[in-house]
Amino acid sequence: MMKPTTQKNHWIKKIGQLLNHGDRPWFGLIIIMSVVVIAFMVAIGYMLWIDSGPSRVAFGLSFLQPTTDPSWDPVNSNFQAWPFIYGTLITSIIALVIALPVSLGIAIYLSELCPAWLRTPLNWLIELLAAIPSVVYGLWGIFVFLPQVVTPIGTYLFDIFGNVPGLGSFFAGPIPESGASRLAASLILAIMIIPTISAVTRDVLLAIPNSQREASLALGSTQWETIWKILLPYGASGILGAVILGLGRALGETMAVTMVIGNSIEGTISILKPGYTMASIIANEFAETVSALHTSSLIEIGFSLFVMTLLLNMLARLLVWSVTRKTPQEARA
Amino acid sequence: MRKSLFVSLFALLIAAMVLSACGTAATPTAAEAAPATAEATTAPVVAGAATATPTLAPGSVQVNAGGGTFPLPLYTQWTYAYQYVDPSVVINYQGIGSGAGKSGILDNTLDFAGSDSLLSDDQYTKGKDLQMYPTVASAVVVTYNISWAKKFATPAGAGTPTPTAPTTAPTLILDRQTLVDIYNAKVKTWNDPEIVKLNPALKDYLPAATITVVHRSDSSGTTEIFTKALTSFSTDWKAGGASAVEWPVDKAGNGIGGKGNQGVAAAVLNSKNSLGYVELSYATSNSMAIASLVNKAGKTVVANAASIASDMTDFASAFDAKLTANIVDGAGDGSWPITGYTYFILHTTSMTDCVKAAKIVEFIKWDLTDAGAAAAAKKLGYSTLPSDIQTKVLTALGTVTCNGQPVK
Repeated sequence: MMKPTTQKNHWIKKIGQLLNHGDRPWFGLIIIMSVVVIAFMVAIGYMLWIDSGPSRVAFGLSFLQPTTDPSWDPVNSNFQAWPFIYGTLITSIIALVIALPVSLGIAIYLSELCPAWLRTPLNWLIELLAAIPSVVYGLWGIFVFLPQVVTPIGTYLFDIFGNVPGLGSFFAGPIPESGASRLAASLILAIMIIPTISAVTRDVLLAIPNSQREASLALGSTQWETIWKILLPYGASGILGAVILGLGRALGETMAVTMVIGNSIEGTISILKPGYTMASIIANEFAETVSALHTSSLIEIGFSLFVMTLLLNMLARLLVWSVTRKTPQEARA
Repeated sequence: MRKSLFVSLFALLIAAMVLSACGTAATPTAAEAAPATAEATTAPVVAGAATATPTLAPGSVQVNAGGGTFPLPLYTQWTYAYQYVDPSVVINYQGIGSGAGKSGILDNTLDFAGSDSLLSDDQYTKGKDLQMYPTVASAVVVTYNISWAKKFATPAGAGTPTPTAPTTAPTLILDRQTLVDIYNAKVKTWNDPEIVKLNPALKDYLPAATITVVHRSDSSGTTEIFTKALTSFSTDWKAGGASAVEWPVDKAGNGIGGKGNQGVAAAVLNSKNSLGYVELSYATSNSMAIASLVNKAGKTVVANAASIASDMTDFASAFDAKLTANIVDGAGDGSWPITGYTYFILHTTSMTDCVKAAKIVEFIKWDLTDAGAAAAAKKLGYSTLPSDIQTKVLTALGTVTCNGQPVK
């Protein structure tokens, strides 16, 4: 009677020891999970590379080359991706340039200056803004934001810069009456990434130990100097991370951009003209392609977007690394 | 002690998961094969019974269909209504796009497909026994938003209305060549002589403003019908007819692409002096201004069920063995020139599940013949087939076989 139980205990104990009391399965599970992420990345990249084969063979590098007379002709199977690449880059960059100062302002106000009773409702509102689906931004853009806000701004920009040599081609207009333009897409994107950047930046600033603020103020700094010279450099790597998140969202955003950018393939670089982005051409045309080469070209655009996002992320990591390297670890304690 | 018990339980759990995963991968061939053969044996019985199917439980036949979004509103109503006609069958039609529908029927991932565009010769060869059946036709219309250069005379009191001056904006008239010229950016302003010539009453009212030309940005059957019509209208249209084309107006700088019918509609409504094309049902349900067109016969027509039917009749003889016809630009006096069919696609001989095959054929017959189905189509702005074409389609449906047996 006794013997089997002890034997059983012994058996269980042995398994327990073998598995290091759960550590080993746990370790394995975690490894599997992280490998899954890498596997997905590789699988997606591989699929895009293989399926874009026909297009790569047919057009080579000329597919990606800048051109002023782009062609995207599904009927005669002649494809060039430049207008989409330009559209994606310019709208994301302008969106970031607009969103960054605003988001920094919001984050600084929320973490440093805001009275306590206002902080929670404001936080809620910003997080709510981040949770709005992009198609809702698009609808609001089409019916309210574009005609009421973007068209006047675009007309104003055209009046001021339209005839300045050099800058003029960038602000060549006039902006379409409906407001559908690269500028519209940039502004909508800016609104969409502001909550992302400001929420993360706020958390970064709040995480900075109070000793830093106290030390700075004790040395006679004003509040402005404390924020500008102490807090922002201290949180720089975190803020850069927030910017990467925002940029990632801007690069990949499809629905809202498709609805407001005008979806027109043309060769100018003007931000007041309707344009196109890489994500929106895929969303627009992938469902009903005209030929196999058409599909393949769209997949190559997807592949280019994939690589572009990867490169930008790597660049940003490099930036973070070079910034954090400057601040000695002891100062960050 | 407890902990080690947990560990062993955990190990057992993992083992169970692994085993069950292997199990599900291994079993289905046997499990699926059984019902398939069982259904095949009951098939002749069902085929014998005309309409009622007492042998089948409600919802026991699942039909997977998908394809074009152009007729999706109608198919949604049809499949919904059909549940009450024959509760044993559940038809799930997904609006995945005509292209995806066609590849779905080719790969046999769909039981039948819907498509606005025709199968290519290559697809016919690959699919072996594919057949397209027209279901309904619809029209694409040109809608516009003009900011008139001059106010239309108010009936009494204000100003000095001349007796001949129109009191409200009359409908804009365009002919086939002008429409091509507008989409080619050859006609760029509203007061272009070409447009004025067609609309003498609007001579003083058409503004000198640039026409903002709106097109669909997403590939769609609507675009395919429209560009095929443009191709037929004039040899000046070089961009071709397809679900997505390269728009000359985009390069000229006065073109805008809107996503979906609603995107085009929004762009037209928000831009002064714009023009765009949308599906007829969409334009009427949103009470948009629709231009009249001068057709091939030189008559001015408005888009409605009668003018679409007239166009279909023009091409009744053009129907080939494939049951397909390109019906843009009919020669009849009352024919609306921008018209297209939408189709169901079926495998005619290689369907193996005969119960399902019978149900699909019954469903399509119901769509084509039932008064309620026709009423639903009419309400949504689609036109049903003229009787001689309907007869041809029904005859073709009668020849569908399953495992060598005719499907009834």
